[in-house]
Amino acid sequence: MNARIERDNIVTQALGQIGNCGVFLLQILAAIPRSLRYGRETVRQLWFVGAMSLIIIMTCGLFVGMVLELQLYHVLSMFGSTSMSGTVVAIATYRELGPVVTALLFAGRAGTAITAEIGLMRATDQISAMELMAVDPLAYVAAPRFLAGLVAMPLLCCVFCALAVFGGHLVGVSWLGIDNGTFWSNMTATVDVWQDIVSGVVWKSLAFGAVVALIAVFQGYTAPPTSEGVAYATTRTVVASSIAILALDFVLTAFLM
Amino acid sequence: MSQRKSYAVGTGLFIVLGFAALAYLATQTSSVANRQQGASYTVDAQFENIGQLKERAPVKIAGVRVGQVQAIALEPGKSVADVKLAIDKRYADIPADSVATIFTSGLLGDQYVGIEYGHSKDHVADGGKLALTRSSEPLEEMLGKFFGAGGAADNIGGSYMVTARFSNVGSLSAGSPVKMAGVPIGQVLSVQAEPAKLDALVTLAIDNRYNQIPDDSAAAVFTSGLIGSQYVAIQPGGSPDMLKNGDEMILTQSAMQLEDLIGKFLVNGSGSSDGKQGANPPTSPAGKH
Repeated sequence: MNARIERDNIVTQALGQIGNCGVFLLQILAAIPRSLRYGRETVRQLWFVGAMSLIIIMTCGLFVGMVLELQLYHVLSMFGSTSMSGTVVAIATYRELGPVVTALLFAGRAGTAITAEIGLMRATDQISAMELMAVDPLAYVAAPRFLAGLVAMPLLCCVFCALAVFGGHLVGVSWLGIDNGTFWSNMTATVDVWQDIVSGVVWKSLAFGAVVALIAVFQGYTAPPTSEGVAYATTRTVVASSIAILALDFVLTAFLM
Repeated sequence: MSQRKSYAVGTGLFIVLGFAALAYLATQTSSVANRQQGASYTVDAQFENIGQLKERAPVKIAGVRVGQVQAIALEPGKSVADVKLAIDKRYADIPADSVATIFTSGLLGDQYVGIEYGHSKDHVADGGKLALTRSSEPLEEMLGKFFGAGGAADNIGGSYMVTARFSNVGSLSAGSPVKMAGVPIGQVLSVQAEPAKLDALVTLAIDNRYNQIPDDSAAAVFTSGLIGSQYVAIQPGGSPDMLKNGDEMILTQSAMQLEDLIGKFLVNGSGSSDGKQGANPPTSPAGKH
């Protein structure tokens, strides 16, 4: 199947990839009930893609919040409304930066690892061995990683946003001297739970988590069983995820907001 | 097996942390945090103009938040707004003659109700009423007062009327200041479209103290700053005769439209210079490039 696709031109190739990816999504969804008996494997994956990503997510969230606040302070001071900078940090992070940056980092940190791991399983015939042992690799390898990505992304995004607000507070209040009370009261007066937090943070990051996990598992699962093939599949995970995240972000923003 | 257990514990911690972050975002940084917590009592206050005050806007005493606006309604049959303030039970000792004022936080900020303590021994009870209120001051009125203070708006010395025609007055309106050398010397009394000549007839009221303005002076519509309000600037001429009540100023320069300026800036590359008025301010971007 792969060999035939590679002979085609780039458009047919891309369309074929998207089609295969869609079929693969249905296969994973069908395998989820069967994967429930491997619950411990799902927990282990959640540890690996979620908890292990916390450090990079927290650091980046902190710095994104800090730099946003710093930039906004300089622009808003022209209009004498620096007290609104915390609000802008919160809204920009909840609606766009939080889900998108978390998803991009997640693709780079966890997506590549999933692709490389599954690709090497394929290359070293572990997947074939599972099939011989009557263990369904879709239920044991693919579905737990997909589920873990789906669960981990919203949680990571919440942590990212909280750290971004903390970073904005750190720079704005502790360093630049914005009043603590106005910082929070402007934020709480403007940020809406449903509009900003649920439809921004939660729904977007759920969708991005599903897309990144699907692309990562799919690329690993269909990687050519060579070292070059695995390397190429890992690269494609990052490229395809990034494009998919930003394109999906536009569509979701248009629908949700 | 122990390794698996540590995964489970770590994953559990991760999930708890994630939900804790979500709960923090939802309750501490969003409008949920503004919902009234704890017991409160209601006080009425009536305002002639509430400006942009909204429900759930804060109520502050000495800048400290003590409650929020619960409801805003028009008093039936009267042109006053009835505002219900929900004030925290902890602050139950507000004197009955306290003054409720609608303030704006900053120039462009949201509005809130500020309460200044009175000296009465009686306290406002639940369902009571703050009789003394001060309404929201529209920015235009405040600016008008500000400019009027230094100018001729309600000066006892009186003023004299001068008219001027402009092909375009921009957003100039009655009450805009008239300035000479940057100092307010009067105000715009009216702006009317002239049906016959198809231009704008502006009547200026200039303070009697400034009766030494040459009658060939030019009137120009300027903007204070990039996004500021517009005013009429008078540039003195050299004639020995002075402007009198009812005179018309012949030399005028209309308001600069941002679009025109950009257009000029773009077209100026062709080299044709625009000397229509001869009184173009040096700030016009006649950049050579």
